[in-house]
Amino acid sequence: MREQIFLGNEAIALGLLEGGCQVLTSYPGTPSSEILPGAVKLIRSEGLNTYTEWSTNEKVALDNAFAAAIAGKRAACCMKQVGLNVAADSLMSAAYLGTVGALVIISCDDPGPHSSQTEQDSRLMARLAKVPVLDPSTPEEARQMAAFALDLSEQFKVPVVLRPAIRVCHARQSISWERLQNNETKAAFEKDPTHWAATPRFRFLLHKELNKKLADMSRMFDKLERFNFHDLEEGKRYALGIIAGGVPYAVVRDIFKEGDRHDIPVLKIGTPYPFPERLAEEFLSACQKVLVIEETDSVIEYFLRDKQKVLGRLSGHVPLEGELIPDVIYNVINRTLKELSLDPLAEDLDTSGAELVSSLELPVRRPTLCPGCPHRASFFSIRKARPKAIFTSDIGCYTLGLNLGGVDTCLDMGAAITMASGFYQAFAQDGADQPIIATIGDSTFYHSGTAGLLNAVYNDARFVLVILDNEITAMTGMQPTPGLGVRADGSKGRAISLEQVVRGCGVEFLEIVDPYDIKAMTRVVKKAAEYVSDPNGGIAVIIARHPCVIAYRDQAIPERKELTVTEDCVECNLCIERFECPALYRDEKLGRTAINPVLCSGCGVCIDVCPKGAIVEVRKSDGNG
Amino acid sequence: METVNFVLCGLGGQGVLFMTKILAETALSKGIKVMGAETHGMAQRGGSVISHLRLGEVQSSLVRSGTAHFLLALDENEAYRYLPFLGRKGRLYVNADPGLFPRQEVRPYIKDKGITYHCLPATKEAVDLGAPMSSNLALAGFFSAFDEGPFSSGEIRETIERISPSRFRDFNLKVFDACHAIGRENMP
Repeated sequence: MREQIFLGNEAIALGLLEGGCQVLTSYPGTPSSEILPGAVKLIRSEGLNTYTEWSTNEKVALDNAFAAAIAGKRAACCMKQVGLNVAADSLMSAAYLGTVGALVIISCDDPGPHSSQTEQDSRLMARLAKVPVLDPSTPEEARQMAAFALDLSEQFKVPVVLRPAIRVCHARQSISWERLQNNETKAAFEKDPTHWAATPRFRFLLHKELNKKLADMSRMFDKLERFNFHDLEEGKRYALGIIAGGVPYAVVRDIFKEGDRHDIPVLKIGTPYPFPERLAEEFLSACQKVLVIEETDSVIEYFLRDKQKVLGRLSGHVPLEGELIPDVIYNVINRTLKELSLDPLAEDLDTSGAELVSSLELPVRRPTLCPGCPHRASFFSIRKARPKAIFTSDIGCYTLGLNLGGVDTCLDMGAAITMASGFYQAFAQDGADQPIIATIGDSTFYHSGTAGLLNAVYNDARFVLVILDNEITAMTGMQPTPGLGVRADGSKGRAISLEQVVRGCGVEFLEIVDPYDIKAMTRVVKKAAEYVSDPNGGIAVIIARHPCVIAYRDQAIPERKELTVTEDCVECNLCIERFECPALYRDEKLGRTAINPVLCSGCGVCIDVCPKGAIVEVRKSDGNG
Repeated sequence: METVNFVLCGLGGQGVLFMTKILAETALSKGIKVMGAETHGMAQRGGSVISHLRLGEVQSSLVRSGTAHFLLALDENEAYRYLPFLGRKGRLYVNADPGLFPRQEVRPYIKDKGITYHCLPATKEAVDLGAPMSSNLALAGFFSAFDEGPFSSGEIRETIERISPSRFRDFNLKVFDACHAIGRENMP
């Protein structure tokens, strides 16, 4: 037995491997990205033979895991909550087909949101697909639920969703664990086309079977005391009870423990769907009112039948958006207690600190691209070449190009390209000549760029597409891309050439440029824009290729330049506003722009940004001469 | 053991997470249960970074405002931003110039809450020691000198020795020791 501090996502990886997971696929996305690397680490240290892969997108990940699961293996795939949207097509159908072995889909939610486009609740996706969903409160419980989910899936032959929220994924907890064993189940596929390739007529029957499985599981969940339990005392009646699941349950527990409160019973729901109806009924009948606290949307609240008793989002007691942080939950409980004339927790939360902070006018810390980031150089050149273009962009670090005025839109993965063609057709319909420049990262392009590019070429849309190729999936923590040819376990795969993919989509204009060379990049963007406007032209693609400065520090900046700002600086602020490097700041004492040597990466790109030539390299002393 | 709540904060890239790891691993080595929460993804890119660390028998990872025992801040403005986390008689360790901290407007609040604060110009110390990126170890060393919280400075030092990547180990210890010494001089 060893005790170690695990990140929630690593605890999930541990649970999956304890449950005999043989195939694990994923596409990175905050807050899910550390599950697969966590598994790779354990697989290596424990000598397991579990197969892992970074798939090109979430649907691909789910399909691959599904195939393994119907070949009798135990498989799982992990993604962030919006990734499950991409995989939804696969999930809905897999629910009907079921499994032979096990299939667990881990979809990590982001209440807040901290690093996502939406606050959507994956429990609702599970309900939509009609598959069971487990909602852990802590890393330790997530670990146990991951292993249980594999058992449940194989027992009922149904895909199971595990829904940890960000405060489980990125929590750290000390966890005891023992050596892991290999699962030696061999792949076997028994042909049964009426099932595995079912036509609509058979799908009806499969739906009926699924409904039966759900009814059976609901009854099982009524008695699943590991994850669903309450602390009612037999025969006692209560003015108020709390029903909670996921992270809010842990917060409620700690608040009551801290306040030494034992008069409010709590029902914990670890399996919100299929809903443990009888258990909930038992709890409800002992309480005059129940307050439901769950993240991010309402699921438990909808399932409770006697709405007269239920307080929650629908009654206005719980906020409809944002993370239920402990302060919020404390206030929700306290307000409800007072409303029902029950003893409040203690005094109301002191707001004097928050009021003080807002009066201090502290600097707003907006996220920004790193010093030396090649994307910054790309955006600067793109804006310089075509300042009036519409800039469609995409999901990744480079969304932060909006700080440089280089990003006007961000919808979903791949939408830089599809929205560029959409804008083009909308303006072209009116005979208007609106320049459009799309930017997309390399990983996002592999994820869902090609379908949009094929469509744009086929329908003769006209725009410049810049693929920002930093040779890594940077935002989510430096996972390899298909372009790199390195696989999830570090072994060598086959590298996919971005150039060949672009040409294969029917693009005839393709240029590759190093964005650190601002003059060259600006020239190429102008040339591409001219090709786009030419009646005989078409879509122009530029690959702006330079390694990520965090992932490949030495390759990205082989020779660090020591830089300074001379008296030629006229304080036009172009470098600070348009280039927005964190190392550039206004020095009040000097009365001009200066460079913070601690933050400066030494990339030297800003030398070409300054219109007065005031940013220069410090001459090296002739020590060797 | 009574629960002990830490909030650690700073800017992206300052090493808030490593500073948290040092304290968390030290607690674990003493058999104390550890729970914590950290920032990843978009929020990490140069923005304000906060990390919660809770020692003892707790289930939730976030510290509620007004309940932190310790606030360790690698940036002065971030110290102000997260000051409401500190409870009555809380302790603040901040990377700031002792002569200039705290801002006038903040003084009544600090006094009213009975907050004790100790300042170390951690960035300056780290730069002077030739390790400009090590303000986190500087503040950890400084904090350790006051012998507060559930572990001793020797235990924190042992953790740094154990978990530092080998090429940084000596440097980390050098910064830690130097700022521990400054802390000792500052002791009341």
